[in-house]
Amino acid sequence: MGQSKPIGSNTILIVEGEALVRFDMTAFFEERDWRVFEAEDADQAIEVLDQRTDIRVVLIDATVSGRMDGLKLAHYVRERFPPTLLFIVSGQAPVPQEALPQRATFLPKPFDLHRVMRQIEQSPVTP
Amino acid sequence: MSISTALLNRLRDLTVARPRPKPLRYGLTVVVIAMVAIVQVVLFGSSAPWFLYTPAVVLLTLFLGRGPGVLATIISSLGAGLVVARSDLPLLLTPVHWSASVIFLLTTLGLVVLVEALRTALLDADRLREEREKALVVTAEREAFLSGVLGSSTDCIKVLDLDGKLTFMSEGGQRVMEISDFNDVAGCPWPDFWQNAGNAEAKAAVEAAGRGEAHSFIGKADTYQGTPKWWHVAVSPIAGPEGHPDRILSVSRDITELRASEEERERFVRLAENSADFVGMARTDGSLFYMNDAAKRLVGLEDADITRLMIADFFPPEQVETVAREVLPAAERDGHWAGELDFRHFRTGELIPVLYSVFPITDASGALIGYGTVTRDFRERRRAEDGMRLMNGELAHRLKNVLAVVQSVVSQTLRTAPDAETASENLGARLVALGAATDVLTGSSWRSADLHEVATRALAPHGSIGERILLDGPAVTLKPEVTVAFALALHELATNAAKYGALANGAGTVVLEWSVTGEGNDAILSIAWCEQGGPPVSPPTRKGFGSTLIERSLRSYFRGKAATDYRPEGLVFELEARLGDAATVNE
Repeated sequence: MGQSKPIGSNTILIVEGEALVRFDMTAFFEERDWRVFEAEDADQAIEVLDQRTDIRVVLIDATVSGRMDGLKLAHYVRERFPPTLLFIVSGQAPVPQEALPQRATFLPKPFDLHRVMRQIEQSPVTP
Repeated sequence: MSISTALLNRLRDLTVARPRPKPLRYGLTVVVIAMVAIVQVVLFGSSAPWFLYTPAVVLLTLFLGRGPGVLATIISSLGAGLVVARSDLPLLLTPVHWSASVIFLLTTLGLVVLVEALRTALLDADRLREEREKALVVTAEREAFLSGVLGSSTDCIKVLDLDGKLTFMSEGGQRVMEISDFNDVAGCPWPDFWQNAGNAEAKAAVEAAGRGEAHSFIGKADTYQGTPKWWHVAVSPIAGPEGHPDRILSVSRDITELRASEEERERFVRLAENSADFVGMARTDGSLFYMNDAAKRLVGLEDADITRLMIADFFPPEQVETVAREVLPAAERDGHWAGELDFRHFRTGELIPVLYSVFPITDASGALIGYGTVTRDFRERRRAEDGMRLMNGELAHRLKNVLAVVQSVVSQTLRTAPDAETASENLGARLVALGAATDVLTGSSWRSADLHEVATRALAPHGSIGERILLDGPAVTLKPEVTVAFALALHELATNAAKYGALANGAGTVVLEWSVTGEGNDAILSIAWCEQGGPPVSPPTRKGFGSTLIERSLRSYFRGKAATDYRPEGLVFELEARLGDAATVNE
């Protein structure tokens, strides 16, 4: 069911409960001509993922709620969309490496969006 | 001394002189009688030859004894007879002379017996006098000994009559009772010295002694000077000549100091007993011999026999070795060991965190006789520590969140501001509003924020509350998550009002009013920002970050409806949300 090719389009799903922080992240990526999808919790995130299959980057705050928490959501995304670039952020205690899904980057809050952007740009893209 | 007494004494002295040996005595007798005979013949011839011998015999018996007296009598009779003897008579003496001789012999013998008795009596009297003198010396010594003993004893030794009245008190007794003159108390009823229970006991003791029973008791009695003292009293009967008690002996010992030191020791015991900490003592082999009540309660040993327990029994298995190998030897070596360990409850088995403090107990010579412990129940402290750690974790989380929000606000402000100066101004003001919001939250440990208070703090920098800015609404407790956004939104509204709206001229006012319709979590919270009296309003051409923030974020955080209405008389911003989404509903 999952795709095997890296995704070329610049689309990102931001899953963040804190509206102010979410607005900022959205504005950041929109400024750089990215297509941004927003979700406040895991439920909204899954809704978006059900509709679109071409999302290149998913950024999840581990503390979001819903039918699953942010970390479980990350594992779900990794399983369903193996090529997706995954970023997991959290203001609470850092998530240990073993708990993270494969090829996911953990960033403690507050984090630098520019760094995220750099990491995205460095990852391979196949048209 | 009169002459006659002196003579008598001289006489007595001669009489009781040591008895001389027999030959001497009898020889002397013969010589004396012979001399008397010569004198008689020379002086008196043959008329009544016997009478001169009588005094001689008397004297000889008196000084030399019965034997010589009898001999003298016989020789005297013969001598006197010889004087009047005529060879021409057939019996040598005339019948008259024979009778006279016999009479003389008999009476003189009788006299000898009498004199001998007198002599014996004199000798006895002398002997008795000597014995009496010796006895007196012994008695005087004994008396001196006894009164020395009585005098030096610090016990109050008293003799009472059968009615309990004082007839004698030893010197030592007078001292401890602070009596300077025994006559002050002689004859007083002894029980009167005692107060309360002691009085009854004293009376009972007197009565018992009268019956022949000894009795003892402890009581309180003041000395004659009024010093209060505690006494141990032993009362016993003194038997008279017939064997019945006719006097009472009462010996009282001052135990005031002993009692004081016992009371002091008792105080320490009570200290240990009443302490809320676990106090226990064990011997060197680890066997327990004392636990106070608090100790028994802590580990669930309320009715148990503690003497069969060892120190090791109190700890969970994994700590027993540490205690044996490190803790107790360290206590012995350093005089003390303290640290956090766990006790094990004897009934439930649960672990009880404690602050275990143990020290060696030594005897007076410094040798180790056991271990003592004063241990504190540490559960509360642990709970408090754990709670604090938890809270610290929460605070750290919230701090990071606030920083993330600040980061976003900064980033968005910088993005939308036309120049650096405007950016700086806007940013500064926004951060102040953010700070005010977090102040309110910190006041309640980040659990809640009163709507009125948040509004007051966010709007105070923009206009005087109560005059140009009016707040009106019921008590509503906002959730921490919406508080920051709410404060920032109010700040934006006020900033805009100050630039273009009701707070731009000197007359306009702003009314922030809110209401709750309905009950419980599904009640509707309506908040309205109404400007009036300001300059004419026109919809803005460009929505800055502020306006966007107001509508979008409030809509998101409150999960409700939010809209700005640019009415000509003044801007109105309305927000409607489910109470349960934005606030905590009180019971």
